[in-house]
Amino acid sequence: MSLQATSSPPRPWLTGLREAIPLLGGYVPVAISFGLIAVQAGFSAWEAVVISTLVYAGASQFLFVGMVAGGAPLWLVVAMTLLINLRHVVYAPNLAPWVTTSRWWPWLMHGLTDQVFALAHHRLPQLPEAQRLGWFTGAALLAWASWIGGTALGAVAGDWLIGGWPLLGEVMPFALPALFLVLVVPRFTSRRWSLALGTSIGLAMLCTLAGLTNLGIPLAAACGALCFYLVKVDPRTSGGGHE
Amino acid sequence: MNDALWLAVLASALGTLLMRLVPLLWMRRRLRKTAGRDGVEAMPQWLGILGPLMVAAVLGVSLVPREPDALAWVATAIGVIATLLVWRRTRSLGWPVAAGVAAYGLVVVLGGLG
Repeated sequence: MSLQATSSPPRPWLTGLREAIPLLGGYVPVAISFGLIAVQAGFSAWEAVVISTLVYAGASQFLFVGMVAGGAPLWLVVAMTLLINLRHVVYAPNLAPWVTTSRWWPWLMHGLTDQVFALAHHRLPQLPEAQRLGWFTGAALLAWASWIGGTALGAVAGDWLIGGWPLLGEVMPFALPALFLVLVVPRFTSRRWSLALGTSIGLAMLCTLAGLTNLGIPLAAACGALCFYLVKVDPRTSGGGHE
Repeated sequence: MNDALWLAVLASALGTLLMRLVPLLWMRRRLRKTAGRDGVEAMPQWLGILGPLMVAAVLGVSLVPREPDALAWVATAIGVIATLLVWRRTRSLGWPVAAGVAAYGLVVVLGGLG
């Protein structure tokens, strides 16, 4: 899984597929949990799979089935689901400079989750233009398929799986922070960026510990950006990194 | 599911898709209007800064263990160190992730035995 894009792999979708494999460690256990919880909340297995296929947004799906099971009004369920997913509006514009003119791109945005965005934001700029669509298709489809497959598995055999291999569900999700770490570390190019990134990471952790995970992502990013603009770094001591 | 619930699923799905899709169309249009300039330069500066910071925020969220007890924090710290060390050596995506998961898993297993 080299970061270099100097050689031309013959099948970019296969490269995307391969590079998205670490996402599975985080997706599959959470999708299994969703399938199980949806069935316990009164949805059938195939209804849970349809929700995962169409909505495809982890946290908001848990909220959706939880609120429905709790008897909340449906307009409120939809409003809260959309509110949680609002952070997604800044993802696609960040990828736009590397998106080609193909008409497939808008449809592929269905697969633009937090994790796929993080991976694509890192990889698309490194890829030649001709390979970007194929790479994104491979990566996004694998992530989507794993989410749907994990939901089906959880809905049909979630109890048995979680009871039989509790450690697997505990260990595999670490693939996500490990992957994000590898994507973020190269951005620590100057003191200014380090301060902004450190602020975002720290604040997001605090928000999560306080139970505000979904608010935490946009809030932490906004505070990091504020930090970036407010802190003036002496160019002689900034480390000369790209800003 | 009854009809109203199906409608709620469809509304949530469509709304989520539009939140992912419409900003792309907006930015594509903006980039077309500034044709000739480099795509990254044509992007509003705040957006270019916000992108990496969103990824950093997602990292922060994912670093917090589901059961944040002492063992989980120690395992997370060791997993992070292992990931960074292997990344420094290989500058790749896959190996550091595998090393991080292995180190994290090892601490969880050994901690569970104690």
